[in-house]
Parts: sequence; C-alpha cells; structure tokens
Amino acid sequence: MFADNRFGYLDKVRFGLGFITAPVYWVADTPARISFWIDDVFVSRADLIGENESLREELLLSQRQLQLLESLASENNRLRALQDSSASIKGEVLPAEIINISPDPFSKRILINKGARDGVFVGQALLDANGLMGQVEEVLPFTSWVLLITDSHHVTPVQVNRNGERALARGSRTTTSELELEFVTQTQDIIAGDLLVSSGMGQVYPKDYPVAIVMSVFVDPGQPYVRIRANPVAQIDSTRNVMLVFDDPEEEISSQPVLNLNAQGDGNVSTENAPVVLDVQPEVTDPAEVEPQTYDATDQDRVSPPVEPPQSDTDPGITQR
Amino acid sequence: MQPRAQGYWVILLTFFIAYLLAIVPFPEWAMSYRPEWVPLVLIYWVMALPYRIGIGSAWVVGLILDILEGSILGLNALALVALAYITLSLHRRLRMFSTFQQSGLIIALVGLNLMICHWLQLATSQTVSSSLLFLSAAITSAFMWPFLFSILRQLRRSFRVK
Repeated sequence: MFADNRFGYLDKVRFGLGFITAPVYWVADTPARISFWIDDVFVSRADLIGENESLREELLLSQRQLQLLESLASENNRLRALQDSSASIKGEVLPAEIINISPDPFSKRILINKGARDGVFVGQALLDANGLMGQVEEVLPFTSWVLLITDSHHVTPVQVNRNGERALARGSRTTTSELELEFVTQTQDIIAGDLLVSSGMGQVYPKDYPVAIVMSVFVDPGQPYVRIRANPVAQIDSTRNVMLVFDDPEEEISSQPVLNLNAQGDGNVSTENAPVVLDVQPEVTDPAEVEPQTYDATDQDRVSPPVEPPQSDTDPGITQR
Repeated sequence: MQPRAQGYWVILLTFFIAYLLAIVPFPEWAMSYRPEWVPLVLIYWVMALPYRIGIGSAWVVGLILDILEGSILGLNALALVALAYITLSLHRRLRMFSTFQQSGLIIALVGLNLMICHWLQLATSQTVSSSLLFLSAAITSAFMWPFLFSILRQLRRSFRVK
C-alpha cells in the first residue's frame, strides 16, 4: 500500500477519490463563505463610500508605481537583450482562495479551491499579495494541496535583496511559521532586517519574489555555520486570497540551458520545447543541482561548434508557445 | 439471520458530518485537542451494527479520510481497520458497559488509532513531531463519547437503522 503510494501508482486513485471528497470541502467552507456574504450585504453606505475612496487612492498610487515599474521592466528587458539573455519580468496569475489547512499542526499545508480543472499543475508557485507562500504539491479535480515554505520538508532557494548573497531557507521544525537559513558561513554578509527574495534556482519559483525578512542572526564561533531565523513576508497564517503563478514559457526556457540546447540539437526549436519544459521536477530546490546543467551547456557548446548559441535568446519570438 | 438493510443514508450522513468536523480548521493551539470524530462514529456503528459495518467499511472510510486530510493513502485506512477489528471482537462486552466505562475503553481505542497513525507518519517521514501531545485527542474523544453515543443511539432508534 505504502510502496504503491511512494512510487506514484495510486495517483489516479487519489484523483478519482478527489471527486467524492469535493462536496465535503464545499460544505466545510460554507461558514466562511456565509460570513463573507454577510460582510458584503450588511455594510453601510458611508462605509462603502469611504472604502471606495481609499481604494481609489490606493489604485492611483499603485498605478503610478506601475508606470515606473513598466519603464523599469522595459529598460531591464533592453539591458538583458544586450546581454543575450531572454529572462523577462512577466507571468500570469490565477487568483485562488484558501479553503482548508492541514489538520496535522506539524505539516504546514493548505488546500486551495483551484484544481486540475483550472489548469493547476504540480510544482506551481503560490503567492499572496505580499510574497511567496508555497508550491502546489498535489492536484485534485477541484482543489489542490499546497506545501507552504514554512513546512520543515520544504527548502526555498533565496538570495539577499541587498547584495545577492544566496542561501537556502528551510521551514522551521517547530509549529511556528518561521524559516531557517541553512549552511550560511560566518563570512557571508547577511544581517537582521535583510529582505530575502526567491533566487529562481531550482526552477520551481519565479525569480525576485519577496520571501522573508531576516529576524535574527546568531553567530556561535564554535560552529561552522551561522543560525539565521527569518519571518515570511506572506501572511501565511491569516490571508485567504492567494495567486497561482503561470510562468511564461520564455522565462522557463532561459533558465534551462540544457533542455534548450537538446531541443535545438534535434533541429526542432519551437515544438519540442513546450512538452520538455513542463517536466520540471518540483523537488529540485538545491542550487547544487542546477550547477551541472550549466556545465553541460558549455560542454555541448564545445563539442558541437556548428550548433549556434541558443537562438531563442537572440530571438524570443521563436519560443513562444 | 441478518435483518434487511435499512436506513443506510443515516449511517452515510453521520460519517459525512464526522468528516466535516474532522477537517474544519481550528486555531493552532486547539489542533491537537480535536476529538477524532471519524473513529468515534465508526466505533459506534461497528458496536451497534457489527453485521453491517465492519472491517471493509472501515477501510473505505479510512481511504476517504486520507484523501480529505491529504495524508499518505492508506494511513487512516490501516489504522481504522485495526480499530474496527478490535471493536468487532469487543462489541458484545462494549454493549454491556456503562457509558463511562465505554469512555475509558475509548481512550485506549482512539489512542491506539492515533499511535498507529503517528508511527506510520514517522516511518514515512510525514511528520517531525516528537512530543506525545497528539495523544491528548484520545482524552477529548473520550469526553465527547457519552454525548455522541446518546445522539447516535437516538438517531438509530428513531430512523430504525438496521
């Protein structure tokens, strides 16, 4: 029974049983929905007007920031184009709602109300309005389980926003929602108050989303590594509204030099890429696993000089799905 | 001779409600004290209708609970099958007991159920907990048993579930 499950033979059974269990979740979520509905219905006009005004102001402010951001993004893309790299700041999101949490207090997982029907896939990144929350672990027909970044089995590749120092953030082994940075040497420059953003290594999470803020750095001269605790910026315990990120294919391809080159070696550029790229392993969260691939890429360049350097990098139009 | 099956929907309904209570989110501190509703309801039905609800039904009930909790498939199924087997072999004695004596036995039964779940979770590295706090659910379950027992017996009698 367990061996079956470990090797994934029973995934279909799970998926089928997911149809049966959907109504239970639906009913269990009813009180929350009713309370939201009551909030919506019984609200005074003055409150609505006030809320409307504040929202409008907020919209104005964020639109101004968006304008700045767009010019920055286009500038960034131009600079990247100069460097022959096609990573761009894009990506679509799908709004979702958290409808349940794991009954085991030691496993930090949540259930969201989007499933296979909505195109959710295993390994997809989940955000809330403030930052990264986790990745999809199991997809059921109408719902999916998400492993949070604070789970002790989950490691997020991060980098310090201030200076680009890379680290691995593992979920705390206690019941608190904290992250611990692992294998940070005493010479690395990380101080309390630093913002950690996702580094994009491991190819699960998109790059540059805020993950956590460093709370405390404990240096024990007798130990090889520093103990660093960080607080996730996403409202992991309180939010209900979350977003699922769909990476644009361009970005995924550019972060996977090996697959890209293989596809070109077959002489087939655009059609081969899409199915290959979707085979990203969600468990690969260790930067060490990323390194060999780049070596492969350079090796392949060396042994086969006639193959041009990645075309998709110079001409992003080719790789669009 | 078995009586004709009657009022199956009552049994299904009670399990449905037990599932609901099992997955409704609680505040963090109360999570460990949540009574194990599904095992309790299962014990009752095995005790009351041992010719109708047995090890097979326990397995199905456990599988659905596994899916609901998102745990490894077969975890609760195995624990509930063990629970159903013990309850089946004890059901005549259980019926003779007073409610409070039953509660005492419930601590042992639900505790065993929790232990099996916890061992399997540790063995498959699903959890990292090392405290015995999870056993407190057995005590809250035992507290809930007298109420649950009287409610379910009322239901069974008024709908003539056989």
